[in-house]
Amino acid sequence: MNTPNNNEPHVGVYICHCGGNISDVIDVKRVAAELSEYPNVTISREFPFMCSDAGQKLVIEDIKSGKINRVVIAACSPMLHELTFRKTLQRAAMNPFLYEHVNIREQASWVHKGDHEGATEKAIRLTRAGVEKILRQDELEAIQVKAAKHVLVIGGGPAGIKAALNSAARNLQVTLVEKSARLGGHLNELDTVYPAGESAQALLHSLFAEIKASPLITVALNTTVTAWDGFVGNFTATLSTGESINAGAVIMSTGYDHVIPAAGEYNYGADERVVTLPKLIEHLKISSGKPLTWNGKSVQSIAFIHCVGSRQTEGVHTPQADGKVNDYCSRVCCTAALHTINVIKKQQPELNIYDLYRDIRTYGRGHEAIYEQASKNGIVFFRFTDDAQPEIRENTVVVKDVLTWSEEVEIPADLVVLVTGIKQGAVDDLVSMMKLPVSSDRFLQEAHPKLRPVEVANNGYFLAGTCQAPMDLIESSAAAGAAASKIAAVLSKDFIPLDPYVARIQADKCTGCEACIPECSYTGAIFMNEASKKAEVNAALCKGCGACVAVCTPRALDLAGWSMDQMDAMVDAMVAEVPA
Amino acid sequence: MKHDTLVIGAGIAGLQAALDLAEQGHKIALVERNPSIGGRMISLSKVYPTLDCASCITTPRMASVAHHPDITTLTYTEVKDVTQQADGTYKAHLIKKPRYIDEDKCIGCKRCEEVCPVYIKDEFEHNLGAKKAIAIPFTNAIPQYPVLTPDQCTWCGACANACPVDCIDYVQEPKDIFIEAGAVLVATGYELTPFNAKPQYGGGILPNVITSLQGERLLAPHGPFGRVLRPSDGKVPDSIAFVQCAGSRDASLGIPYCSRVCCMYAIKQAMLLSGSLPTADITIYYMDIRAFGKGYEAFYQNAKAMGINFVKAKVGRISEAEDGNVTLRIERQEDTSQPDEVNHDLVVLSLGMKPQWNPATLAWDVETAVDGFVKSPEAPLNPATTTCDGVFACGTATGPKDIVDTVIEAGNSAMVIGNYLMKTTGTRPGGQA
Repeated sequence: MNTPNNNEPHVGVYICHCGGNISDVIDVKRVAAELSEYPNVTISREFPFMCSDAGQKLVIEDIKSGKINRVVIAACSPMLHELTFRKTLQRAAMNPFLYEHVNIREQASWVHKGDHEGATEKAIRLTRAGVEKILRQDELEAIQVKAAKHVLVIGGGPAGIKAALNSAARNLQVTLVEKSARLGGHLNELDTVYPAGESAQALLHSLFAEIKASPLITVALNTTVTAWDGFVGNFTATLSTGESINAGAVIMSTGYDHVIPAAGEYNYGADERVVTLPKLIEHLKISSGKPLTWNGKSVQSIAFIHCVGSRQTEGVHTPQADGKVNDYCSRVCCTAALHTINVIKKQQPELNIYDLYRDIRTYGRGHEAIYEQASKNGIVFFRFTDDAQPEIRENTVVVKDVLTWSEEVEIPADLVVLVTGIKQGAVDDLVSMMKLPVSSDRFLQEAHPKLRPVEVANNGYFLAGTCQAPMDLIESSAAAGAAASKIAAVLSKDFIPLDPYVARIQADKCTGCEACIPECSYTGAIFMNEASKKAEVNAALCKGCGACVAVCTPRALDLAGWSMDQMDAMVDAMVAEVPA
Repeated sequence: MKHDTLVIGAGIAGLQAALDLAEQGHKIALVERNPSIGGRMISLSKVYPTLDCASCITTPRMASVAHHPDITTLTYTEVKDVTQQADGTYKAHLIKKPRYIDEDKCIGCKRCEEVCPVYIKDEFEHNLGAKKAIAIPFTNAIPQYPVLTPDQCTWCGACANACPVDCIDYVQEPKDIFIEAGAVLVATGYELTPFNAKPQYGGGILPNVITSLQGERLLAPHGPFGRVLRPSDGKVPDSIAFVQCAGSRDASLGIPYCSRVCCMYAIKQAMLLSGSLPTADITIYYMDIRAFGKGYEAFYQNAKAMGINFVKAKVGRISEAEDGNVTLRIERQEDTSQPDEVNHDLVVLSLGMKPQWNPATLAWDVETAVDGFVKSPEAPLNPATTTCDGVFACGTATGPKDIVDTVIEAGNSAMVIGNYLMKTTGTRPGGQA
């Protein structure tokens, strides 16, 4: 370790401009100048982008010069770059935990845009608190946990299968859990897939053959996860079969459910001419090639209505079960509908098909050609707005078409196809068992859409496919590969490093009162040692939430890296005078 | 030099794939034709839908790649040819272009740049700003070496005199480099559809009609003017228009496909403009708004709520009006189809994506599809494979794509390449048994 004058802490402080994100509001020069006067601060600088190579080099050179042995970087949220700078310290052969990341962007410049003086003062206070905290920081070491070379994949649709195959290719044991009686998920419902029209059955058969050929994959059908415990490298899943799995990582590939239209929405449920797109696709698959009939009657004209259950507006649409509308776009339905329309038109060119849409979102490779083909096939398109929904009448649909002077047009329709969206599957139990973050659209939430798009913020949990957001088969396959790639990297090592910010106990101060035990939300993280009658912490299970620390009256418990001493000093620094 | 994988292109796709492969123990050669790694993404302002600054996301990736012990980065280097050898591995012939400096000696002090008397157009700013004839390409460039532009250099010798380490080399020649690798990843990205493809839009002729990437630079923290000004006269624009599908969904341009990102970047730029110019009128002329990704629809609805005007209309012609302003002749596609003429101070053409590079010109079996992008014959289940065994592709090399989808594809290609190498060489990446 490069810690000169070991007993004497010397802090280097770096204030980031973040382009102009911080420096447009905060007087960064003043913050740096103010901090340079602060006790134990040896170096105080400001720089346009601390996260850039040049910024990181600055820190490394200062460490290597022997002038500093503690680092404070005042910049963006630690969510974004705490790990970046830990690596920087490691490159300078310094303990990566002797660094404090102060957030003066989200917590100062962004929220106090109109108050330059106040934001600057706040940045000074926050950065001073960071200095006080790091002065009291111990030389923590990452907790090392042993990695079980076993991946649990939950959900046996295409994403889950691809994730399982990819993991097995890296010599990892895989348990693929599927709640239904067969693998393949929603791909089983399709005849052909857009954009190239491959047979869904052929794709499934190739996947099943690969699964069968892999000795490392165990498939558990009709099975769910009923209990969940543990931490990255060492999860324990209890399955509905009673079996227990020890897995190093878990891939969520739980997929989606079709949105079911609200009762009465476009007369759904009341009028037997009104069906959903998945129902129509199923019908076409069964009746393959025969002229389209519905309830025994031949069909002459069909109206497709897009955005059913997607892009909903509060006050216009019936909320879902949780009281919220689906305000997101389901991404796949435009192309799926047009692909289906082209399939029908190929068989029965004489059919009249009307397409009622809000925006046609044929965004992907080859999708626009499908739209183009539908136009060539003579499909008539009408555009409606969310506040003027088409109306279902007897044998017709009435749409206020904004493309033609918002005229009301009455369209003959023997069949009305509601192009329904997709929504999060039934994963509430898993979400609460595994404490998974969920986005406002109810899909599972990734750690960062660009930096960590297939990882959950919680260590050891990965996302593949439509449990994260609507996506098509190509995109799901890519997501599954990306998730498995992350897992291959994590589980290729024998030990996984974890953050050391966990509860620790001074046994001599513990009175054995047991007040901490019921406060802990993580089974086994804190427990009573029956012999010594004192509390003990399992560092690998502890998430560092601090609930136990708060109730410990003798102050025997503390959080490493967030100790009571550090908190006291930070509060003092925050309320201390800042010269004008 | 022997490597596990040769990655062609060091934009966000190539950077992410190289890092993911290196994390699995691979040895990577990463080739980039530009003087810096970072690709298109490093030149963007902020990125949708989170509005993180693009630099904040890209620079750390660039730094990680530059410092990774298992990644060899070859910048300012072109691929001349790649051929498959008898044992199935690939041999690449690369050409390192001359920067006219000795990279072993250069300390990146910028003295040469300071003393150079010649100003030339700055490509990184899409010609909105100027730089010196010898200059480090941009603030966050990696590596921090200057490049001399020989066509415009007057050979005055000022830089050579000023250089404290005597590293200027006016007679430097291109250098051949040969790389051997078990697999190749094509991550060569996109370029904008041609600015002047539709002459009736005045791209490249009317000074206040700019490209979408110029729009990015106007809004970037280190942009050419430091704030939003229009190019012709430096006026702060009061009224700005975005013309959607200016290079896509138009068979007459040979680009019938949707470029997938233009709706969202236009909405993003409109939001950023409305942040820096709160009183400006901003209008987006569109065909369909394709806000299909996670959080994108909410982003679009926020833009509407912020007062950005969305007009469904096709723009027929863009011409010069008084005082440098621009007149758009439009056909509204809603309410009335009457042609109309509208004036704006500044117009951004939302240009689309076309492939940056055509790999089908090399002596290997990589094919492109009708759209010009690399063909993905196994797309539904294996989007990373190409028509050539051992060659893979990701990101916008296989079609227009945004950053989120590109990063995911890069991760997938790292998986697939690792699997391929295990199968073909019988070893784990990095040579472990």
